[in-house]
Amino acid sequence: MTAFRFVAAAGLALTLLAGSAHAEPVTLTWWQMEQPPQRVKRIQELLDQFNKSHPDIQVKQEPQSWGDVYAKAPAAFAAGNGPDLLNSIPDFTTVIKKIGAVVPVDDLVKDLDTKHHFIKATLAPYQYDGHTWAVPAYNMALSMWYRKSVFKAAGLSVPKTWSEWKAAAQKLSGNGKYGIGLPANKQLYTDQTVYSFMVNDGAANIYKDDGSIAFDNPKTVAAYQAYADLQKLSPPDSPSWTWGEAEACFNSKSCGMVLQFTVISSYNAQAEGDAADLGVAAIPHADDQPESATISYSNGIMITTKDAAKQKAAKVFLSWLLEPEHYGRFLNMEPGLFLPVTEDGAKADSFWNDPVTTKYKSQVETMIDNSKNGKLFGFTTGKVFPSIGAISAQDVLAETLQHIVVDGQSAADAVKAGQAHMTEIAGK
Amino acid sequence: MKKNTALAFVFVAPALLFLLAVLGWPLVQAVIFSFEDIGIIGSQGHFVGFANYAAVLGGMHFWSALGRSVVWVVGNAVVQTVLALGTALVLNQKFPGLRVARVWVILTWIVPTVVVVIIWRWLLSTSGGMINPLLMEAGIISRPIGFFATRRSAMVALILINSWRWFPFTALMMLAGLTRIPGDLYEAARIDGANARRRFTRITWPLLRPTLVVLGVIGTLLSFNVFDVIWLMTAGGPSQATETLPVLIYETAFKGYRLSEAATISVLTSVVLMSFAVLATRAMTASEAGR
Repeated sequence: MTAFRFVAAAGLALTLLAGSAHAEPVTLTWWQMEQPPQRVKRIQELLDQFNKSHPDIQVKQEPQSWGDVYAKAPAAFAAGNGPDLLNSIPDFTTVIKKIGAVVPVDDLVKDLDTKHHFIKATLAPYQYDGHTWAVPAYNMALSMWYRKSVFKAAGLSVPKTWSEWKAAAQKLSGNGKYGIGLPANKQLYTDQTVYSFMVNDGAANIYKDDGSIAFDNPKTVAAYQAYADLQKLSPPDSPSWTWGEAEACFNSKSCGMVLQFTVISSYNAQAEGDAADLGVAAIPHADDQPESATISYSNGIMITTKDAAKQKAAKVFLSWLLEPEHYGRFLNMEPGLFLPVTEDGAKADSFWNDPVTTKYKSQVETMIDNSKNGKLFGFTTGKVFPSIGAISAQDVLAETLQHIVVDGQSAADAVKAGQAHMTEIAGK
Repeated sequence: MKKNTALAFVFVAPALLFLLAVLGWPLVQAVIFSFEDIGIIGSQGHFVGFANYAAVLGGMHFWSALGRSVVWVVGNAVVQTVLALGTALVLNQKFPGLRVARVWVILTWIVPTVVVVIIWRWLLSTSGGMINPLLMEAGIISRPIGFFATRRSAMVALILINSWRWFPFTALMMLAGLTRIPGDLYEAARIDGANARRRFTRITWPLLRPTLVVLGVIGTLLSFNVFDVIWLMTAGGPSQATETLPVLIYETAFKGYRLSEAATISVLTSVVLMSFAVLATRAMTASEAGR
């Protein structure tokens, strides 16, 4: 009888343990780099909804900054404390891939593509070495911003070529105003604006197929020369600008034109907020080029857990996030900045119903159009070389511009020095 | 006596062990890393001997950054000493509101670095900043200038901003030194007919000198290691004009993904600073002994 009781009690205990183990949800930690409070709040609202509808999975966010994560994430993975999901931009993916912390998402992306149809330019930077390394989540593409009323008063039409652009900037300069606000800081913003000139002169590739550097070529030199010429019409402190200063210059009407991912939020809150007057256009191209292109940053989400159950849960969550009914709300964590990466996302009511997005609908539509011809340095040939992470992080494109703007070198000499620096980085 | 010494060691041991853990171990790690070829933090490295030292000492980056660090330290020392000494001398006088002035003078020192940077970036901006219009009104400049747009002006602007932040702290240290000078010395000098200049050169300066020397040593070490203001203001630019050694170390480790090379520069920087500290301490000791 005693033995029977013991066996029964043990059986009951095992059953309870098994039951409780089965009921334990899979917990995913997501490091995302959207720190402003309104973005964290919107993501949390979505997570609460997901966690409620999926009791077997719990996703928690841990906001990080882009400034820290390049050092913090590798250290966390080395210490065994890395996240299960990690936001990324293409060059950051190469860093995480190099330390073996990212898991391919080929099947997931294939399924999502069939269902939602990714915009090709957003997927390409994550597809190399035979795999897809992140799920595209949102896109950012540089556009040219201006005021229609200012152009009209100056008798200008929207410039399409570099010569028209320079003429427009010259006409808008004077009386304490600057025709254009172009940065020349050794910083990511300048990398972006410089590369947007390069892609508009057909100098998109900085690598050859064999991984050697192809930066020093006549097209790149011409792009730098055009940039330096226009930069002379920018405010004198522009060699120390980041995104905020350019946006402030535009909002205060000191700058006639700027290149930005968006100015909608600050223009709406801090400037006139007149949607009818806010102009956005594709970045002008070199006179001998047929069409405009731009730099675009496809932000993705990587799966960075080796645990099979967590990988499965992560796929469920990412699939849920890209469903049109949720995806638009995700993009509108910062209305007018984050652009859809899927075709059905671009049509989703949840995206277009936001009041700010509705107010600036024509601008957002133009931004989406511009993003379709977006490229990113180091991710244009279908082959990705690990040194792009260091080339991007060290802002070599911006450094090259500073040799012209600050040191007074010729564009040809500066590009030659840029080629040498990139080659040195690639060789290490 | 021996028992007392042993007991003293027992009491001091926990603090020593704590210091070894939080200061000694990272230093040892940095030395170990400097003999390896680690790239990205967290990745594996291999022993490479003195290759990193040969590369760093044989290249230009380390020496250029060291030169800029020297300019930075000397510039800060000169500007802060002038501002702090003047302030300390004023605060050592008796005038209405003295207590309020002594408290509020430290305001710039207690403001967080990020706030200091935002304030100055805005003040110096050409889009709504106040400095350019003021200089134009005063007829000093004819059109707005970019303070961080040229190599020389960027370093000068940074030194002035950093000195603006730190001089109140130095001034309070000097004030403490001034208040230790006996008042009857000045009284006797006045009776002997010494004017203000002679009282300063014959009493204030000689008696304040030990305080200034100590402040000089500590200030040099603190200035040398300043990273936050430089990084947030210019990130070492334009065109590396403000890239001091701490900035170079950060750039190399976290932007260039060359952790071992950064560790090598850190070790060499530590050697430079330790040598300076040892030499300065010896000089101070010799000076004290000779007095």
